[in-house]
Amino acid sequence: MLRLSWAGFRERWTLFAGAVLTVCLGVALVQSSLLLLVSASTTSAPAGAGALARMSFDASTEAAVALLGVTLGFAALLAVFIISSTFAFTVEQRRRELALLRLVGGARRQIRRLLLAEATLLGLVGSALGVPVGVALMGVQTWLLHRLGFVPDGFSGQWRLWIVAVSVGTGVVLAVVGVSLAARRAARVRPLDALRDTGEATRVMTTARLLTGLLFLAGAVTLIGLSPVGGAVGGQAMAMNVSVCAAIALTLLGPSLVPAVARLIPARAAGVLGGLATANLRDDRRRTASTAAPVIVLVGLVLGQASASSSFTAAGQLEQQRRISADLVIDAPGPTGDRVTTTPGVASASTEVEVPIALTTGSGDLAYTRSATALLVDPAGYGRTHPGAGDLTALRQGAVVAGPGADGFSPGDTVGVRVGDQDLGSLPVVAAVPQAIGGGATVLLPAGVVPAEQLADVPSHTFVQLLPDVSRQQAVSTLTEVGTVSDLDSWLERDSVARTATSTGVLIMVMGLGGLYALIGVINSVVVAGATRPREFAAVRVTGFTRGQVVRAAVLESIMVAFAGLLLGLLAAAGTLIGVIATTAAVAGTVTVDVPWLLVGAVVVGTVLVTAVTSALTTRAATRQPPVALLGARQ
Amino acid sequence: MQSDTVIALEGVSRTYGAGPTAVRAADGIDISFRRGSWTAVMGPSGSGKSTLLHCAAGLERVDAGRVMLGDTDITTLDDDELSQLRRTRIGFVFQSFNLVGALTAEQNVALPLRLAGRRPPRAEVRNALAAVGLGERAGHRPRELSGGQQQRVAIARAMVTRPEVLFADEPTGALDTGAARDVLRLLRASADNGQTIVMVTHDPAAAARADAVVFLRDGRIVDRLAGADVRAVADRLVALEA
Repeated sequence: MLRLSWAGFRERWTLFAGAVLTVCLGVALVQSSLLLLVSASTTSAPAGAGALARMSFDASTEAAVALLGVTLGFAALLAVFIISSTFAFTVEQRRRELALLRLVGGARRQIRRLLLAEATLLGLVGSALGVPVGVALMGVQTWLLHRLGFVPDGFSGQWRLWIVAVSVGTGVVLAVVGVSLAARRAARVRPLDALRDTGEATRVMTTARLLTGLLFLAGAVTLIGLSPVGGAVGGQAMAMNVSVCAAIALTLLGPSLVPAVARLIPARAAGVLGGLATANLRDDRRRTASTAAPVIVLVGLVLGQASASSSFTAAGQLEQQRRISADLVIDAPGPTGDRVTTTPGVASASTEVEVPIALTTGSGDLAYTRSATALLVDPAGYGRTHPGAGDLTALRQGAVVAGPGADGFSPGDTVGVRVGDQDLGSLPVVAAVPQAIGGGATVLLPAGVVPAEQLADVPSHTFVQLLPDVSRQQAVSTLTEVGTVSDLDSWLERDSVARTATSTGVLIMVMGLGGLYALIGVINSVVVAGATRPREFAAVRVTGFTRGQVVRAAVLESIMVAFAGLLLGLLAAAGTLIGVIATTAAVAGTVTVDVPWLLVGAVVVGTVLVTAVTSALTTRAATRQPPVALLGARQ
Repeated sequence: MQSDTVIALEGVSRTYGAGPTAVRAADGIDISFRRGSWTAVMGPSGSGKSTLLHCAAGLERVDAGRVMLGDTDITTLDDDELSQLRRTRIGFVFQSFNLVGALTAEQNVALPLRLAGRRPPRAEVRNALAAVGLGERAGHRPRELSGGQQQRVAIARAMVTRPEVLFADEPTGALDTGAARDVLRLLRASADNGQTIVMVTHDPAAAARADAVVFLRDGRIVDRLAGADVRAVADRLVALEA
């Protein structure tokens, strides 16, 4: 069997090149994320750093570990998805060959074994290429992590020898898992199908596929329904996940949806070429669905996440604008003390310093300590600049208030707080300020709990309210001695960008790499679809089409499929937007939607362009031989 | 059943589709084939020739009746048993040669044996190829061979398991006259050596090389000629198509 696998492999390497490529990139992405994850979770703060600095370091590696965990999971999910759809497609393209094996006495079990042996071979080749590619990718990922500020200076991914075994294992398992479902279906091919040129097309839309698709669709709808009641944090997470569920659902339902959607395109207007293209994409539903699948995933995920992220950033900024009442903001190193309040013309001021803390929630066996942030405030000043914050008079030494980014505890609970090496012990949560979409500190602490000398270098910001009859200009010039003075709007804009830098970074990191992978999936499926059709193209040419016309018809077909994929992908992304609308309306009171149109345009144009160019190149390659040579050759 | 009968169809019926568009491709066919006989099956297009062949070979389910290969009723076998049957007791030759493009002539011929879990000695495979006059071409891929040569590789592949019946579906349909003549000569020689052959064909010249010709129309056997020449076969066919 292995020799037969090897022979098949050598013969049809073009068909398998795509499968190898997807395995290679999947392995590379998983390997690189895993190595970085291990490196990040084993680094420790440089010796000699202060207690607060050490805490910041731990918080940032913790964020990096979480980010890499998400990247790893996402890479694995995409790898399974793209590899299995590529493999299923290559298997389907070889229906006739497999039927032939059945005809000369191959049992179903043997066909399955053959395909699994082939997958093992492809997995091995793919991982052999994936390991060095993964090393290169780790360089890129490390650079990105530094660039986005997720890891401290001096951090680098460490090579581990055991990763080779893990990568090869991953590659083989991904390939075998990817092919196993297709192999089961392929083994059911009837020997008689070898005798027919086209073969009775298998039912593409199986009951299992339909049910799984509907399940994911129901999941997407449920997430939309739940997002308004999920609170600021939960609602955002749910809205983000709508497009993931919807993209998977639409991909699964693709064989029914894609031809129907493509039918909406008035291609018949393009004359006989358009007619041929429409007929082709309707005839081979599997090919159509397989080509559209990575487009749906690419567009749905990237645009869904990007729109959600920019909408939530905009919503966060609007929310702050409504909630904060101040004329000026001063950025300064360390608390400003009474230097601001004693300045003539200042009605009131609230200085806030954000410090990293270790927060313990729960008690006994359920106690759980994590990195969080605390905002050191003067309760009275905070109340004046945040009119909606409620009554904070209970906030004094030995108590905390749940902050705008609080999660997992509420007034009445007790939490453990440690700032640097100073343990504040168990403190009662005495009140809560409203949750914010843009997030924020986990708890509020009274300013006095941390000695001023420890905070000398920690950035602070002070919201300033001026007396009504004071010259703004004069106040600004006096306050400049304390720190950098901005007006509220421009400060909020900078702050919301910084606040969402993490989620934007996650987006760039995860979606960028994932999007690239999906894009390769798009190219791949177009190549496989074109490379297996030389006979079909030849048949069209002998009926009088020129080579140029065949190429144009194929390109037109690809563009139509890409459009259908784009529409469905946009539909998936729109699901996330509905979640965004529901969440922002529920949490912030107003609907905020911010679609990054430039990105949408780039993705749409890029996808169509990549599909068209790939299709033109593969069709040209597939029509290089004179048609008679192809039609005459029988095997 | 007579002791020298290799394969027998007993009341075999097969209908495609349902309702007004249903086609009765086999309508209560009774026929048996003796050991070492070469029978040609002829008839107009749509008369049920291929259905008869496919049912006899277990490639197609029957609606009624049985197909006895020796003492085995092959209509009761499950998929695995049918696969096993194809690699041990039945051989196939088709109009489109159906060789595996990735494998050499030699590997193609060895395929049924290897599927049966045997590691055939090289000589056995080489002999099978030599018997069809292709001993020199063992290492070639199908696309490096002419149509006639590919068909002879297919015959070698079908015969290497020494099957009880060789089913041939238009074996000369895609060949030029010279190549067709070679293939027919090969089939004649193996029939003379005791190989049972059932062959569907359109070509009176091919049918005339067989021992007997059976004529089908509308899924029924309507005539049988033994030892007829090309002219007699052609005349009978024309009469049926009229």
